[in-house]
Amino acid sequence: MGVHLRGIYIIVGNYGSGKTEVAINLAVNAKRSGLDVRLADLDLVNPYFRTREVRGLLAELGIDVVVPPEKYLQADLPILSPAISGMIRHPSQLTLIDAGGNDVGATVLAALADSFKNKLVHMLQVVNPSRPFTDTVEGCLKMRADIEKTSKMKISGIIGNANLIDETTVDDIYKGYDFVKSFSKESGLPLEFITVCVELLPQIDSNRFTCPVLPIERQLVPPWKKAVKIRN
Amino acid sequence: MGKILMKGNEAIGEAAIRAGCLNYFAYPITPQSEVSEYLSRRLPEIRGVFLQAESEVAVSYMIFGAAGCGERIFTTSSSPGISLMSEGLSYIASAQLPAVFVNIMRGGPGLGGILPSQGDYFQATKGGGHGDYRLFVMAPSSVQEAVEMVMKAFPLAEKYRNPVMILGDGLIGQMMEPIEFPENLRSEPTNKDQWATNGMATRNSDKPNIVKSLFLDPDELNDHNLLLKAKYERMKREDTKYEPYNLDADYKVLIVSYGTMSRVCRTAIDNMKAEGFEVGMIRPQTLFPFPEKAISDAASKQSCEVVACIEMSMGQMVEDVQRCVLGKRPVKWYGKCGGDVPTPEEVIYVVKSFLDKNKA
Repeated sequence: MGVHLRGIYIIVGNYGSGKTEVAINLAVNAKRSGLDVRLADLDLVNPYFRTREVRGLLAELGIDVVVPPEKYLQADLPILSPAISGMIRHPSQLTLIDAGGNDVGATVLAALADSFKNKLVHMLQVVNPSRPFTDTVEGCLKMRADIEKTSKMKISGIIGNANLIDETTVDDIYKGYDFVKSFSKESGLPLEFITVCVELLPQIDSNRFTCPVLPIERQLVPPWKKAVKIRN
Repeated sequence: MGKILMKGNEAIGEAAIRAGCLNYFAYPITPQSEVSEYLSRRLPEIRGVFLQAESEVAVSYMIFGAAGCGERIFTTSSSPGISLMSEGLSYIASAQLPAVFVNIMRGGPGLGGILPSQGDYFQATKGGGHGDYRLFVMAPSSVQEAVEMVMKAFPLAEKYRNPVMILGDGLIGQMMEPIEFPENLRSEPTNKDQWATNGMATRNSDKPNIVKSLFLDPDELNDHNLLLKAKYERMKREDTKYEPYNLDADYKVLIVSYGTMSRVCRTAIDNMKAEGFEVGMIRPQTLFPFPEKAISDAASKQSCEVVACIEMSMGQMVEDVQRCVLGKRPVKWYGKCGGDVPTPEEVIYVVKSFLDKNKA
C-alpha cells in the first residue's frame, strides 16, 4: 500500500520531528508516480538541515522547489518568498509546504491565510515519539493545539515518523506505529501513513499496519555520511 | 530508559539539568538559540531559573554573581556572544569560581555567518579575555559526547574552581542524534563551603569567604597568578583527554582534528584504509589541556611522514600541533571557514597531496 497524496499539503510538527525529510521523500515519491510536484521551504526558524540544502537534487528530478532568493539562503532572516502565495493560488497536482517546527514555526501559515481561502488544504502533523515533548499522547495533543492556534488552521491527519536515525530498529517502528495509532484514536485524526527508512524496509511486516508506508531515502545527513542516492 | 532523538542544543540544555544545574542565564544567538528555547520550557517545569539577560555582558556578570554564591550555573552562546562575555570570563577565572560556558561556534570574524566553524580555538584556549588565565576547554564530536562533557563539566569546574568551556561547532548544536543521559554522571557540588559566599550560618563557619579579582599589592597579585598557574599545570597532568584512531596501523600520515571535523576525517581514514592506505588520527577531546605528549609520540612513530592538522579555521590548532611535534615531522594544515564543512573526499585528496609534496 503506497502513499498517494494529491492537492495541497502542509507538513507541520514539533522541532526535529522529521518534517523536512518527510516532505522531501513525499515529493520524490509523488514525482516518481508521474505527478507534477512543487515543494516550498517555509522553515523560517531552523538554521541548518533545511529543504533548501537539497534543492539541486530535487530540481534535477523535475521537482519545483520554492526557496528564498539564493543570496539570502544562509541568512538568519525570516524571509517569506512571494512565490509561495502564488503556488497556493495555482497549485500543482501535489503542492507540499514544509513549515518550521512547533507553534513558532507554524506562525507563518497565518500570514498566508488569504492565499489558503477557498482552497482545500490538508495539514498533516509529523510525530516521532522518540523526540522530547511528543513522547506521550498528551504531548502530541498539546503540540497539535499549539500549532492550530498560531497557524489559525486545523490539522487534518497524522504522519507517524518513529525513528532514531541510524539506530532505528524494527521494534521502534512497530512501537511507533502503535503510539501514533493511539494518538489517532485520542485525537480523532486519521493516520495518513507511517515512514520506514529504506534500509529497514525489508525487515518490516507491512501487514501489521492499516495505513500506507512511505519509504524514506535519507537526504539530510551530516557531511561525513552519504545520503541515499535517489533515482528516478 | 531507552535512547531519545535530540538536537545537540536541546541535549546540552537537558544534560546540564541532569548534571544537577538548575540555573541558566543567556542571550539568544544562532546557531545555539535552541538551548534557550528548550530551557525556557524545561526549567520552569522543575523550578529552575531561566533568565534571558539584556546582553551577553550582563550574562557573564550574572554568572559571576550566581557562581560566587555557590550555585551551579551555566550559559550558552555563539562566537560573537562569547566575545562579549570575555571580560566576565577573566573576572570569574581570577576569582576562581566554577561555571560552565558553551560556545556553539559560527563563522567569523565579526558577524561572519551562521554556519559551522572552529574559528574560536584561539579565543577559547589562549584567552579571549585579559590576563593570565585559562579555561578548561572540551570539544565534543557527537551529540552523545556533548551530553557527557556537559555533565562532567560541572564537577571539573568545581575541582579546579575555574570556568569550563564546551567548544562545539554549529553542527554539534544543530544536528540530531540518538542519545541517553548517563545516570552515573549526575553529581553534587562538594567543595563550595570553602569558597562560596553562601552565608556563614549556612555553612556553620565563623570564617567569611571572599570572592574577588582585585589584588593591588604586587606580591599578592604575583602569588595569585602563581597559584592559578599551578592549577593549570595540574589540569595538564590530571585531565588531558584525547581519542586515538587507527594508531596501531603503520600510518604514513597522522591527522590531528577535533569536533565534527574529526568525524569527516574518520570517514576519510576508513575509506583510505579500505584501499590499503593507512592514516592515523588523534582527536583532542580537551583543547586545554592539550594532548601534547600523545601527539608528540604519535608523530614520532617511524612510519609517520607527515602530520596534518585539519580544522574549520584558517589555522589555529595547527600552532599547538607544531609546538608538540617540534620539527620532528613536517606539520601541514588544511581548513575552511566559510561554513561548508570539508567532505571526506576533500580530506583524502589533501592528505595524499601532503604526502606527495613531502616526497617531492
